Amino acid sequence: MNHKDTKSTKSDKQGSLSVLRVFVVNNFRYALLLPALLFALAPVYWMLTISLKTEVDQFASPPPWFVFTPTLEHYYDAFVTRAFGQYLITSAIVAVTSTGCALIIGTMAAYALARFQLPWSLNRRLSLWILSTRMFPAIVTAVPLFLMMRDVRLLNTRASLIIVYTAFNLPFVIWMMRGFFADLPRDLEEAALVDGDSRLGALVRVVLPLVAPGLAATAMFCLIISWNEFLFALVLTQTDAAMTLPVGIAGRVTQYEIKWGVMSAAASVAIVPILVFALVLQKYLVRGLSMGAVKG
Amino acid sequence: MSIEFQHVSKHFGGTCVVDDLSLEIRDGEFVVLLGPSGCGKTTTLRMLAGLESVTSGDIFIGEERINDVPTQHRDLAMVFQSYALYPHMTIAENIGYPLRVRKIEKTERAKRVNRVAAMLEIESLLERKPRQLSGGERQRVALARAIVREPRAYLMDEPLSNLDARLRVQMRGELKRLQHQLGTTTIYVTHDQAEAMTLASRVAVMRKGRLQQFDTPMNIYNHPANRFVAEFVGSPSMNFVEGKVDFDNGTFVNDSLSILLNASQLSELTGQSDLTIGIRPEHIQVLTEPHDGAIAASVYVTELMGNETFVFLSVGTNRLIARAPADFRAEVESKVWLRLAIEKAHFFDLVSGDVCYFPVRRSVP
Amino acid sequence: MLLPVLFIAPALAVLLSLSIYPLIYSVTISLQQETSAGVTWSFENFARLASDNFFLTAMAHTFVYTIAALTCEFLLGLGLALLLNKQIRGRGLFRASLLVPMMLPTVVVGVVWRLMLNPNFGAINGTLKQLGINTESLTWTASPRLAMLSVIAVDVWQWTPFVFLVLLAGLQAIPQGPYEAALIDGSSRWQTFRHVTLPLLKPAILIVLLLRTMDLLRVFDQIFILTEGGPGFATETISLYIYRTAFRFFDFGYAAAMSFVLLALTSVISAIYIRFLQAKEAV
Repeated sequence: MNHKDTKSTKSDKQGSLSVLRVFVVNNFRYALLLPALLFALAPVYWMLTISLKTEVDQFASPPPWFVFTPTLEHYYDAFVTRAFGQYLITSAIVAVTSTGCALIIGTMAAYALARFQLPWSLNRRLSLWILSTRMFPAIVTAVPLFLMMRDVRLLNTRASLIIVYTAFNLPFVIWMMRGFFADLPRDLEEAALVDGDSRLGALVRVVLPLVAPGLAATAMFCLIISWNEFLFALVLTQTDAAMTLPVGIAGRVTQYEIKWGVMSAAASVAIVPILVFALVLQKYLVRGLSMGAVKG
Repeated sequence: MSIEFQHVSKHFGGTCVVDDLSLEIRDGEFVVLLGPSGCGKTTTLRMLAGLESVTSGDIFIGEERINDVPTQHRDLAMVFQSYALYPHMTIAENIGYPLRVRKIEKTERAKRVNRVAAMLEIESLLERKPRQLSGGERQRVALARAIVREPRAYLMDEPLSNLDARLRVQMRGELKRLQHQLGTTTIYVTHDQAEAMTLASRVAVMRKGRLQQFDTPMNIYNHPANRFVAEFVGSPSMNFVEGKVDFDNGTFVNDSLSILLNASQLSELTGQSDLTIGIRPEHIQVLTEPHDGAIAASVYVTELMGNETFVFLSVGTNRLIARAPADFRAEVESKVWLRLAIEKAHFFDLVSGDVCYFPVRRSVP
Repeated sequence: MLLPVLFIAPALAVLLSLSIYPLIYSVTISLQQETSAGVTWSFENFARLASDNFFLTAMAHTFVYTIAALTCEFLLGLGLALLLNKQIRGRGLFRASLLVPMMLPTVVVGVVWRLMLNPNFGAINGTLKQLGINTESLTWTASPRLAMLSVIAVDVWQWTPFVFLVLLAGLQAIPQGPYEAALIDGSSRWQTFRHVTLPLLKPAILIVLLLRTMDLLRVFDQIFILTEGGPGFATETISLYIYRTAFRFFDFGYAAAMSFVLLALTSVISAIYIRFLQAKEAV
């Protein structure tokens, strides 16, 4: 009887020890996560506060993280007084138009690559070539594109950016959409054909509705990439009429006296679409950013 | 509508997948293309549908040569192995799709969809999406989509293979009855010989791209053209024993057994020496007592099926299967005696597999 | 055959005219020299590279930047991924938050960190001061010694989440089977990691290393905003030098020549990576 009792208490102790260990281990993960999260978001938060602080608060030392009187003067300054409103509109127009063009042209090409067997193993070769154009350092094509645009007098126009961004986004669209098309079973299109639909009709009525989520994700990626793009915009547009938001922000930085408030206000607005998209896209992001190599 | 294949061949790169296939299918027939995987039956079906191009030869539907007619204009209906239901459409939209692409207007469309749904007892499912349906229900939707527009012929690519065994048997019967009702030419692809035997008016057995035999199920069962067909059709399959005819003693012999042949067989087989003899399990009677002329054998194992018993036997180095009544019992390794209905035996050339001797007169289809 | 050609043609046309033709244009001008006699063909632009100190320094900076940032991002990302390879509550929100740094416009990243690193009112020095550390000499982006460290740190901040997420996805794609088999076989944690986890993670690792290396070699935006290549030229990487040559000195031919060296470099390196990737897949 005694012997049994000691045995059960020993296992009780071991039981509670392991429960404790499990608790610590699990929460240790959260303990690591939280700082990582803060570390990722704190600088962005800091910038937001700068955009809302008066100049006095901005230069205060020690810097107030949470307690300060907010003001919208910098936002007014940036978007009404100065030309940031125009930069914003330019960014939006360029992003949307180039994404639209890239989607149309790219989806068609992606469909052909996914469904048709081309001779000379062109399917594979074309795909690899398209992938490689994505790998070019931007500066390599930026310099000649500047000269080319200058030659056709398209410098400092929105059109030049739209054209370049379409070309910029195209490889990505083709790569992503090809994956989505390949995931779709051939059966469905064949059934549509046998049912009497034309190839185009099958594409519109059967294929497109089914790749719609993939299409939406690709579109959002392209919008983000176009919205964020800096180098080509910097090289191709230097006038207020044609500058995009990133170029406008950078312009303030290289100036004599840096207006931090204006700059952070503009930057804070610039990231709004990003934050929205990030929440929506987070499921597809890993797949998109790793060029489909890893399915998140 | 009649369908005809004239010397149709299909090559993929260097490989020949269908080799000089000629087949004449009459209007209203239920023809089954039967064979193991890779024999070219699905490719043949797809060539008919227009989903694969024809390398050489001609395909006719009625009087029309359809080699160059695009799929959407061939007016055929197809039931895919995977059913290929459109996942983003409701069942009603799925069934109505062939009518929609023919620009048939809405009310007429709805009328026809409802009629077909009633025929297949799926009216309650019309507003659901494919992912909400069971396998059997999806299969019926695929069928409904095929029959809603009254095409020239139905093409079916192993439509029952994704169903569980019991449902498969049930659907088999319903399919046969449906086809009988509709009377439309049907071409059905399967590797399951039971489906072929029960559904077809005629069966085309294929192997490695070549047509082996095209005849009614009964003729294929009773008069297989070669060893492959004989082995493929019938379950459990036919027994094969290789050996020689000893004309002096009037027997068929190999190193462990000797079978007495009848006069008709001996006269037909003169000149042949190395042969394979084929006997169906139902033509072997297993006796527990020795009998005159019976062959000694030992029991390898028995399988009690409930309605009958399969007896696996060894005769020297030969392995045979026999069908016995349900109450037959025997111990493993016990000695038994076999009486063969030799007049029902088939003889095949050892090398080519072609049949040398037909046991019974063939009935004209 | 007509249909697929029709479908692919527009894309090919765009890519040929806007990706390939510029390269040809670039080669052409890199091999040309304007002399008093007009335009002649010469290799002079390429020959200049060998003796150009700015170029050589820029290359050195680029390599230092790439290797340092890559190592930090990889080790941190891998470590985090291994530790966090379990079901976490609020995963979607967590993932979205971690994505923010890498989805920001690079310009904004530059702005954010210029603010953080400002020696007078930036949050970094402000917090350090509060902890009692003397920040007089910590002028981050204005200090020749610290500037390179600062830009590397910024890149690590921005892209470690990416490495983490891709490697995490890769880890979670590994089936349970091999782990269970290893356990039964008596493998220790380290052995399991070395012989089961790492090999199965190789494709994800290679892809992430490839993408990061390509991005790091061609870095421009963040450094442009943070330091403009300064102080002096302490953080000038190759892309920045090419930019300076083309758009401050307007020496397009020389810039084109340098672009080619950069392109050749990235092509060779990516070819090596892809060779590794394909070798893995063959196994």
